[in-house]
Amino acid sequence: MNALEIKNLNKKYEGFELKNVSFTVEEGTVMGLIGENGAGKTTIIKAILNILTNYKGEILIFEADNKKNLNIYEDVGVVLDDMFFPEILYVKDINSIMKDIFTKWDSKLFFQYLEMFKLPLNKQIKTLSKGMRKKLEIITALAHHPKLLILDEPTTGIDPIARSEVIDLFRNFMQDEKCSILLSSHITTDLEHIADYITFIDKGEVVLADSCPLLMDNYGIVKCNEKEFQKIAKDDYLKYKKNKYDYEVLISNKKEFKKKYDIKIIDNITLEELMVLMIKGGK
Amino acid sequence: MIGLIKKDILVLKSNFKILIPIFVIYIFMAFQGMLDISTLLSFLSVMLMMSTFSYDNLNKWDAYAVTLPNGRKNLVKAKYLATVIVILLTSLVATIVSFIITINKGENINYQYIFITLGATIFATFLFQALMYPIIFKFGLEKARLILFILIFGLIFLGGFLINKIDFSFLAAVIDYFSNFIVLILLGLGLLVLIGSYIVSVNIYLKKEF
Repeated sequence: MNALEIKNLNKKYEGFELKNVSFTVEEGTVMGLIGENGAGKTTIIKAILNILTNYKGEILIFEADNKKNLNIYEDVGVVLDDMFFPEILYVKDINSIMKDIFTKWDSKLFFQYLEMFKLPLNKQIKTLSKGMRKKLEIITALAHHPKLLILDEPTTGIDPIARSEVIDLFRNFMQDEKCSILLSSHITTDLEHIADYITFIDKGEVVLADSCPLLMDNYGIVKCNEKEFQKIAKDDYLKYKKNKYDYEVLISNKKEFKKKYDIKIIDNITLEELMVLMIKGGK
Repeated sequence: MIGLIKKDILVLKSNFKILIPIFVIYIFMAFQGMLDISTLLSFLSVMLMMSTFSYDNLNKWDAYAVTLPNGRKNLVKAKYLATVIVILLTSLVATIVSFIITINKGENINYQYIFITLGATIFATFLFQALMYPIIFKFGLEKARLILFILIFGLIFLGGFLINKIDFSFLAAVIDYFSNFIVLILLGLGLLVLIGSYIVSVNIYLKKEF
């Protein structure tokens, strides 16, 4: 079963357009959404969650239309960038409100998480640091036993230790084979640790979608001089970047490339390098 | 939906410390006869509900709330129900304070006067909020403030103009005629207007993007 399916999503703003975005998050997998600021990641997430109403395309959550069947949101946990409870509320207030909103809200689990992350019960949300607030948002998203987590920049603004705690929490969540995650992040190393699939959005379009481990295995960066670069056929690389002393060339099949060319330095790639080359690189 | 109403009540509870001084000043003024207690009621309930919108706005609560399984219609409904609850609570306080003031002055309690004033104020508050909410839902709080400011001044201006042009003495006759039911009529009318406003707000909110 698919946890989430997006078919031909189109949305137009002034100066920005989401064009025919389609992708699927299978049950039991983690999909990472990457792309630069303003690429359209948040717009996609807003469409999935009905924050936007006027878009074209179809969005299915657990195979049900997201506009017609609001009950599906009982099984969805959400962390959004900068959107949450009024900060004047106390941490404990979230429990008294949410237990009347989600039928499966688990107060015990919520308090357990609060204790685990050392979050104070009797403090107003506005008194929490940015990292603590983010943790509170994540805990709130988890406390009704969702089957699908939709997370927009969930690790931004929190320190590395808290970040690894949060990633562990997501890993723990994924122990259940029926659970899935869609998360967008700038911190691509987090995605390398946890994502099964990567969808890369640029200027409102999907430019790359692949399995994350395969991507790390197959893609690479060739480092060569100008002479060597001239020998590489255009079809054999995706993008290149000219540095002061050398060329960095993004390739999608390291093995094939090694057979074909006699260039020694082929580095493994990180998602960050991939992003930068795909956006900034020339062809 | 109960959770959503609770949210507004809890926001008000957290905000209460800031409101206590204003509250005390109002009651003091009412005791001194500087303003009528019913004015306190209408000011306070409007101010309280405006503050909930303001806190929602600050943390983009609406965008978060529409992702919860309650649905947009219930979000609007909760706001209107919270409004009615707040008005009932402030009315209760206003009535009690009215009684105390009258007793304090050593006068007899004029029930009819107190309840008619109360009914009229609740009616006016309902009208104001019925007008205000769709504007807030459509344009957001910041723009709504400006629009309301212009609207209210427009209404005062128009009111002043009409008072000079039209003889309103027939209204007194109407009120006299219905004197026994006037409170109920006012409350019923107020509620009807509020329900109409709710329907308009739902239609706005269902289409709204955040």
